[in-house]
Amino acid sequence: MNPCGRFEHEGLLLLERGLPLDEHFDTCPDCLQARQAYQRLQGELATAGARYRPPAGWQSRVRAAVAARKARRPGWRLRLMIPAGVAAALVLLVLLVPDREPIPVALHAEIELGSGDVRRGHEPHPGDVLRLRGTTGGAPHAELRVYLNDVELVLRCSTAAPCRRREESLQASVLLDSIGSYQPVLLVSDRPLPEPLATLDDDAAGAIAAGARIAMGRQIDVR
Amino acid sequence: MSVAAGAARDPEHQALAALERGDREEALTILMEAFGAPLYRYCRQMVGDPDLANDVHQTTFLQAYEALSRSRPRGSPRSWLFGIARHRCLDALKASRRRRRRFEPVDDPPDLADSGIDAEERLVVTAFSRVLERCLGNLVPRARAAVLLRYQSGVSYPEMAAICHERPATLQARVARALPVLRRCLEGQGFSL
Repeated sequence: MNPCGRFEHEGLLLLERGLPLDEHFDTCPDCLQARQAYQRLQGELATAGARYRPPAGWQSRVRAAVAARKARRPGWRLRLMIPAGVAAALVLLVLLVPDREPIPVALHAEIELGSGDVRRGHEPHPGDVLRLRGTTGGAPHAELRVYLNDVELVLRCSTAAPCRRREESLQASVLLDSIGSYQPVLLVSDRPLPEPLATLDDDAAGAIAAGARIAMGRQIDVR
Repeated sequence: MSVAAGAARDPEHQALAALERGDREEALTILMEAFGAPLYRYCRQMVGDPDLANDVHQTTFLQAYEALSRSRPRGSPRSWLFGIARHRCLDALKASRRRRRRFEPVDDPPDLADSGIDAEERLVVTAFSRVLERCLGNLVPRARAAVLLRYQSGVSYPEMAAICHERPATLQARVARALPVLRRCLEGQGFSL
């Protein structure tokens, strides 16, 4: 004889709707068993995937994306001009000076093998060198930083070695001597940059709050 | 603890207070701190792929930040964030489905030989969790979203209705239909409840 399927067909929906179950569900052995099974399933669902955690440094990446979009966006005066039509725009162009758009900043990262060869798209190993090249947009203050596992600052330089600054470019190299995730960051600002204090997330938040722009290089996982 | 003091510590109230002050950055920080982890877990299980989950998760907060420049969230900021995440997950799944199938179809669950789980491992709890996640992945995305919101994120049906823009009765029926599918999938993998 087939087991009673009323709990699956009716009981589950009644419970999801917060409605009472009738007497049958208290007396039918199949339904009682099914109810217990679904209670266990619901308990397991509550803990499924509990091991998943957002990747380290994700907040900084969101803030950097926010900052990058802000930098790309035209000033409010310029945006007001767009729907005003050509004639009005010509007048407004004379009367209003659009906000200066910041020059984009960017950060490129390359891995140099211990042997001195350059490779891209391969998994780096301890002993390789990370070569960084940032475009500062001519900002008076610029700094390259590299965080290991988002908590340890392994490189920080601006005009002095190991950084080399030439006009709008800032370059540096850092030896990848440990296993872990290296996150390169370029910070630029019209004002002096705040001192790094703690983690990548905190430092990035502090720099953005102080008016800095941030470009994040790709994360380098050394194994 | 007074109600006012409790509200002051509640991240949703803190975020709304920051918005009242016009401080979107502070609101974003509060929302990321409070809801970053549960939203990531939701996204990770919705899309199945870690890289895709990272993208969707970060896009959710980026989109939230931009939306905050136009208006304040209607209702609870948590529901509002889950609503954005759900849309982004469904979009990402649609796009990735065009490229390749990430999950096996509901009516064709993977057999044990394909699951990479041997008989001994099946005995441990982690194996059960992984099979459960695989079975969740076999649900159609809208059913998966409803089950995760209900039983993992602890979202009420009225709140879920706001997140999904659907009627509570529709969502209740969807969850009630999905649970037996999950049970049979688990049983098909050798796990009885």
